Amino acid sequence: MSDKAVVAPKPHVAHEVHHEELSFWRKYVFSTDHKVIGIQYAVTGLLFLLFGFCLMMLMRWQLAYPGVPLPLIGSLFGEARMPGGTMLPEFYNELGAMHGTIMVFLGVVPLAVGGFGNFVLPLQIGAPDMAFPKINMVSYWCLFLGGITMLGSFFIPGGAAQSGWTSYTPLAVIAGTGQTWWLIGMIFLITSSLLGALNFITTTIQLRAKGLTFMRFPFFCWAQFVTAFLLLLAFPPLEAAGVMQLMDRVAGTSFFLPSGLVVSGQALTNTGGGNPLLWQHLFWFLAHPEVYVLILPGMGIVAEIIANNTRKPLWGYRSMVYSLVFLGFMSFIVWAHHMFMTGMGTAMAAFFQTTTMIISIPSVVILTALIISLWGGSIRFNTPMLFAIAFLPMFGIGGLTGLPLGLNIADIPLHDTYYVIAHFHYVVAPGTIFALMAGIYYWYPKAVGRRMNETLGKIHFAGSLVFMNVIFMPMFIVGLAGVSRRLFDAGSAYDFAQPTMHWNVVSSWGAWSLALFQLPFIFNFFWSIRHGEKVGENPWQATTIEWSAPSPPPHGNFVAAPQAYRGPYEYSVPGAAKDFVPQYEVS
Amino acid sequence: MTKDLIMRGTRNRFWLAAGLVAVLGSPGVAVAATITGTVNFAGKAPALKPLAMDAEPVCHKKHGGKPAPNEALVLGSGNTMGNIMVWVSKGLPAGKTYPAPKNPVVLNQDGCEYKPHVMGIMVGQTYRILNSDGILHNIHTLPKINASFNRGQPATVKEMTTNFPKPENMFQVKCDVHPWMSAYIGVFTHPFFSVTSTDGKFTISGLDAGSYEITAWHERLGTQTASITVGASDTKTQDFKFAVPGAK
Repeated sequence: MSDKAVVAPKPHVAHEVHHEELSFWRKYVFSTDHKVIGIQYAVTGLLFLLFGFCLMMLMRWQLAYPGVPLPLIGSLFGEARMPGGTMLPEFYNELGAMHGTIMVFLGVVPLAVGGFGNFVLPLQIGAPDMAFPKINMVSYWCLFLGGITMLGSFFIPGGAAQSGWTSYTPLAVIAGTGQTWWLIGMIFLITSSLLGALNFITTTIQLRAKGLTFMRFPFFCWAQFVTAFLLLLAFPPLEAAGVMQLMDRVAGTSFFLPSGLVVSGQALTNTGGGNPLLWQHLFWFLAHPEVYVLILPGMGIVAEIIANNTRKPLWGYRSMVYSLVFLGFMSFIVWAHHMFMTGMGTAMAAFFQTTTMIISIPSVVILTALIISLWGGSIRFNTPMLFAIAFLPMFGIGGLTGLPLGLNIADIPLHDTYYVIAHFHYVVAPGTIFALMAGIYYWYPKAVGRRMNETLGKIHFAGSLVFMNVIFMPMFIVGLAGVSRRLFDAGSAYDFAQPTMHWNVVSSWGAWSLALFQLPFIFNFFWSIRHGEKVGENPWQATTIEWSAPSPPPHGNFVAAPQAYRGPYEYSVPGAAKDFVPQYEVS
Repeated sequence: MTKDLIMRGTRNRFWLAAGLVAVLGSPGVAVAATITGTVNFAGKAPALKPLAMDAEPVCHKKHGGKPAPNEALVLGSGNTMGNIMVWVSKGLPAGKTYPAPKNPVVLNQDGCEYKPHVMGIMVGQTYRILNSDGILHNIHTLPKINASFNRGQPATVKEMTTNFPKPENMFQVKCDVHPWMSAYIGVFTHPFFSVTSTDGKFTISGLDAGSYEITAWHERLGTQTASITVGASDTKTQDFKFAVPGAK
């Protein structure tokens, strides 16, 4: 890391201005302060993660004990969904589609990008706020409206969307009214992400502190920066596709409906000529970069925490940054590996499996650099670090098990089985969500001014680590036996699935146990707001700029405009007075 | 005394008249008209492909390991036709409403067949769907006016209920799991409908005096209508005859 002072392109003005006292509504509800909006995003994301988790726990009952009435609460869902407490297939489909949608678009993305991006990024680059604070507010409220639309769809006749989180056509076009709500909700959510992405890019480029060159960025900033480009470039095709599917459903168009489509023995009267595969292309053109939207912020968080808690610089910082950028670029040319089953030609399949193999290289570089960063470190095993360390093997399992799915010949038998579920959940659940949990424990003191309880944090971590694996590891076995991911009864009607049925029981008890181990976190999260250990501005002895702001930071963030004098990870510098040299300190 | 007797006789006649009015005016008594008839098939019956159910072992076994008869054309002796829906399609008094019965119309899934194959129901009347097979079925109604009902019925869900809020002529009910399963249902605002059994006979009773159009429907051979006028306590006969179009 260099000590040279570098001139930043656009220094911002120091904020020592007086701000008029805002009303409650302007301060906490329709706020334009990036920190409040970040917390709004984070809390919304956490609530939706909890809700999506609850949907999954209902599904897990059905998968473990297909056809058995759900005790105590089963009858609350009504005769149309669970007569006598027994789950009907349509309700299972609702739960499946909405679990995926909510976890991805209303849980992880709002928390990882909206929450951490909004709260941490401006602080970390030394900015007083986002470049467009009002657009930032609109972005959050678009997300909120999208969330309300998705939730509201559960209460309409016929219930919520049932066509999977992928909403494949033509099934989704002919599905019930819930799908229309899903599409409208998605349009709000996509609009939210696009506005946010524009803001992040502009803020990162324009509002950097003096001296904060790109190669002095903390890795988290790079991760958010690349993520914002992915959102900006990948979401518009899905927004267009969403509007087109909406038109197919309500305006009689047939973008995705082929001619001569017969449904339940009856010919559809649409005009025809549409192409169902077009939806898949447009959807996956978003949804594969979306995988990296889910994982890159997590990698950024883990990198910060590992550097801080090993008390040494990240190993291979530059390689990690170049890999990140390359990974972002490559993520746009791998989408069709989700579509090997559509009968694409061998030339196209060869192209997409080649790009898929190539994209694994930068992922491996980043993961390897993070693992090597642990080597020789004086590691502090606090709660954020435990989650960050656990992220590495969990994401590793998720990533490596994805390789067979990227190869045409292996994907065909594995496609749409529980193997796929296990693979991407390892990436996103014990992968990304562990990283997000690490981030919550790590930056909570900055947001609140108090630290979360360590003992409760470690209980939360230990239970989560064990039971995440109890849930998802058996799914590899079930998937390799060929059991389809979409079966509402876990395949109990099929002979070939019988030997795997007991694994569903294991997974389900794992899921319910995991829920139990989230209770310490929920309690800790609220209890620590008032009763956590009070901390100063830099409780972790960290080096990046956000730790120069008061905890919690005031409106405008910094008492005086910070300046970057060195790289982000100057830990254990030989000859230094202490084991960290913040990048915002002159010497 | 004489006056008393006269008064008593007058009183008796009054109560007798009142009683007659009360009895005759009440619904469902003999004073109402009835239309009955027989439906026959004309010509040589086409051979329909039996329903092979070997894809579903439970149902295959229920039919003794043999294909089940196709229910699209059910003929009795003398070519009488079963599964014909006959209903009053015009002529009912305008504005008169008929309450839906409290008892439900039952559709049973038994041996991967719908029982009955053809049925009528009144608007708002409970439609009770049973699963006697103990396997996954799916009930998918294909109406044009009412909302479609498309719901799976797993092995352990023995019973579901629904109803139809709007009147609608005959439409199909099918199972998306077992594509050979098919039934037909009509939704009426009145109770004047009847489905023929194998002997081809139907009876529609309880009608007021008047002129009516009655319609007979078969799932493949279409509809026929007839006009008929009935007096207050008439029983009139209206037969129908279906044939395969173009057949000699």
